Amino acid sequence: MSGDLLTAPEPGAAPRDARPAGVPGRKPPAAQPSEDSRLAVEIRELVERGDMDEARERFGELVALHQRRASRIAYQYLRDTADADEAVQDAFVKVFSHIASYREAWPFEVWFTRILINGCLDRAKARGRRERWFSHGELSHADEARASMASPGGNPEQRLLARERRGRLAAAIDRLDGRQRTVFMLCHYGDCTPREVSAMTGLNESTVRVHLFRAARKLRGLLGGKP
Amino acid sequence: MTFARHLADDRLFDCYVAERAGDAADLRAAEHLAECESCGARYTELVRFMDRVYEEAVAEADEVFTPEQLRAQQQQIARRIEAVGRPPRVISFPAAGARQGFAVSATRSAPRWVAAAAAAGLFIGIAVGYQLEGRRARPAAAARHEAGSLRAVTPTAVAMTGNAPADVASDDAFLSELEIALERPRTRELMAIDAFTPHFREIRNEK
Repeated sequence: MSGDLLTAPEPGAAPRDARPAGVPGRKPPAAQPSEDSRLAVEIRELVERGDMDEARERFGELVALHQRRASRIAYQYLRDTADADEAVQDAFVKVFSHIASYREAWPFEVWFTRILINGCLDRAKARGRRERWFSHGELSHADEARASMASPGGNPEQRLLARERRGRLAAAIDRLDGRQRTVFMLCHYGDCTPREVSAMTGLNESTVRVHLFRAARKLRGLLGGKP
Repeated sequence: MTFARHLADDRLFDCYVAERAGDAADLRAAEHLAECESCGARYTELVRFMDRVYEEAVAEADEVFTPEQLRAQQQQIARRIEAVGRPPRVISFPAAGARQGFAVSATRSAPRWVAAAAAAGLFIGIAVGYQLEGRRARPAAAARHEAGSLRAVTPTAVAMTGNAPADVASDDAFLSELEIALERPRTRELMAIDAFTPHFREIRNEK
């Protein structure tokens, strides 16, 4: 996959993990290429020079910068740990394999997220096809068990309530229209601005805003104002 | 100048998106929000809802993707990109083995006589087999012929034996039993099948 469909090249935004803690989703305005975009350019140059070992080492830094956010997006899309893990891995491997086609005019975050989302959509499609023939109950049970083991803190009641809340939220997001869901996930879970989502999806920026608003309104309606 | 009426939901949401993205908010809307208590409360509620949704998603993903898991993922990615950019490995065929292989192929014409011998053996085996079967079949046919001639002679001898009426009676009894059984099958499960099956005697009577 390439970034051929990317429309307006935007100045890079700082990755989510570099944002101040405690302010969810707030992005400081960035005027110059972000750290990840600079790193991607360096890796591309290293690859072009044939210095693959150094390029791999630098790529590890890029992975560390985006891994958490990517896992979060992939998990929200696929709702399965193993699938999300594989989707993230595939996206990073694809980025490294095609780093020569990366252009500094594009924010790396946009380029990478687009690759990730397309991978997730392909996986979701393949899984849908698979689920038509096989039962998928075991997978969800395994994920539930993993989730309950991963959070040993808190009392069982709180854990149960949290799981119920998340289940309700996931079900509500599932009920969103395809585009609304994509836009909502990218903007809200992927911390992308409507402009970035517009670049990723090829949709008009105002259309992205409308989809985002409708998604939020529908979610509030479905969840009764409480997540 | 501020809005005379309250802010519509979409304008309120635009304010939220602008703030979240770090963009400059609509000045008029911002002023209205600062002045209007009702819109301020709606805005606060919206922000609370959206932030809770975000926090839930982040908490859930963080529970699933623990630091150990992320480290394992990093290692896995590193392992996978090791192969990227490296020319594909071509496993060369061992030279000694290749030479040996050629030697074997050079002597391939040698075992031709083996194939010829095998074919001859097969042919001979088939011929002998036919002969043996012919010999075995002949005594059997002869025995059958002899038995047939004996049967042609024995009726009178059989009729002459003392047990004959008893045998005939028992045979008759057996056959009548069979007929009764065929006449009215006792097995309930088979009755339906029997109803669909033509009986021999019916066919015979028709003739």
